[in-house]
Amino acid sequence: MTRRTAGGRLLRGLAVLVMCAALIFPVYWMFVTSVSPANDLRTFPPRFLPTNPDWSSYARLLERPLWRWMGNSFTVAAASASVSTVVSVLAGYGLSRFRVRGTRMAGTFILTSRMLPSTLLVIPLFTLFTQASLVGTRWSLVIAHVTFIIPFATWMLKGYFDSIPQELDHAAIVDGCSRMGAIVRVLVPVAKPGIAATVLYGFILSWDDFVFARTFVSGNQLSWTVSLGVSSLRGEYITGWNEVMAAALVGSAPIVIMYVFLERFLVAGLSAGAVKS
Amino acid sequence: MLEHREEITAYALLAPALLISFAIIAYPVISAVDLSLQELRLTQVGRARRVWTPANYARLFADPEFWRAGWTTLRLVAVVVSGSLAVGLGTALVVNDRFVGRKAARIAVALPWAIPAVMAAVIWWWMFDSSFGVINWFLVKLGVVAAPVAWFNRPGTAFAAIAAIMIWKGYPFMSVMLLAGLQAIPTELYEASKADGAGRIAQFRYVTLPALRPVMGIALILIILWVFREFPIIWLITGGGPIGATRTLAVATYETGFKFLRIGEAASLGVITLVISFALSALLIRRVESDAR
Repeated sequence: MTRRTAGGRLLRGLAVLVMCAALIFPVYWMFVTSVSPANDLRTFPPRFLPTNPDWSSYARLLERPLWRWMGNSFTVAAASASVSTVVSVLAGYGLSRFRVRGTRMAGTFILTSRMLPSTLLVIPLFTLFTQASLVGTRWSLVIAHVTFIIPFATWMLKGYFDSIPQELDHAAIVDGCSRMGAIVRVLVPVAKPGIAATVLYGFILSWDDFVFARTFVSGNQLSWTVSLGVSSLRGEYITGWNEVMAAALVGSAPIVIMYVFLERFLVAGLSAGAVKS
Repeated sequence: MLEHREEITAYALLAPALLISFAIIAYPVISAVDLSLQELRLTQVGRARRVWTPANYARLFADPEFWRAGWTTLRLVAVVVSGSLAVGLGTALVVNDRFVGRKAARIAVALPWAIPAVMAAVIWWWMFDSSFGVINWFLVKLGVVAAPVAWFNRPGTAFAAIAAIMIWKGYPFMSVMLLAGLQAIPTELYEASKADGAGRIAQFRYVTLPALRPVMGIALILIILWVFREFPIIWLITGGGPIGATRTLAVATYETGFKFLRIGEAASLGVITLVISFALSALLIRRVESDAR
């Protein structure tokens, strides 16, 4: 917006670089620690550059059920993200298009449910799952995750549908589509970026969960998710930090990769409804 | 006005979604209220119901630990929200300008958002390590402290460390929302204000900030709610300690229910937390809406 001199630009470049470096240092440090031999972790000053990377922490992870945890996280996240998105497309569309009695209340209701702390939600769900003998299964996680993803997803999609002109639905209906047909054949293709963002966001929310996993499946190691698994590593004091960091890196990788490639989608989806353009 | 047929379609579309939402959202809330009125232990779940009694609430209100947890939560909200706002606004303003490598900078700036909470917790746990943590090394090197600090052993430092970790995890959302808000500001506004002789600071004060207010309001509400909810970072690193310094309402709820096994009392704690966060956001939403008008 404002023109700068070469010196000013250099200065700002440096400032940006320092800022970014400081903010992503923890991520870098996770990587450096994961490839450091145990002895290097007990020296001052710390070694900031992995000049001699030691990958044995990763090899040791293979002796743990890390891959099983990753698989569980994938299954649970994929299932809960897709179920919540299907429900939320319909709910979001309804909230965006109809101003009948009840939609306003439903909107408030959905916003309110975003305030539910998971530490509260976990209590009734625990009693319910205990009675239904679901405790320890991955199903319990899918159901629990769907409960907190739907409000977020519906809100995101409502914002997204708000940005699509109503005339599009009307045109489709005039052309002989039913309302449902208009959604499936016209709206969904147009809203693809928004829907993609919603699936992604649901996936990330599910992957991120700790409280439900800890409460429902900690008794059954076969159902552990990667968040629960990594948290348990630090509980055992024999585990070195290099191994914990290696596991944390593997457990963050899918989300970080998704984020880096799909940042544009996510940002558009998150801010939909909050920013008028 | 909608035709009658349209209205039916509206309900038909909303019905399944609302039913599911109701089943999975309203049910737990109603059930939590119900549990909060019973004196129930975790091990008795599923057996006969107890009579309703306000005993759990009465006990909580008389318990200084409860008030302390509420106070801790509010303090944490204040620190984390203002920290996230400061860092989020700063980073958003920086990556909003055009420069080489801007796209990479934008991705880097919001990267902490993509690190799962448990992973963020273990990373920072290690960085704050009392003997070989890199943060202690930096601070000693810079002369800020004379000797390595045992961060999680003292109330003040533990609170500060937890707040720092949460700001790191919370600011990217603010940054991303504000950046979207910044990009929606028409350039003409800046040009007009420049023609009127406004400097950069005046532009920020009279053009940028007012335009950002609605999106900032929503982002603030969501971050406040997140601090109220946040659990894994605190639970894993300090468990709420030392001596309750980082014991927020969310941590207190979980601890009461799943460590002390007093599930009825935990439910009442959770219900109170919900009421507080509801009241707080209702207040804020009203302000945001009046701003938008």
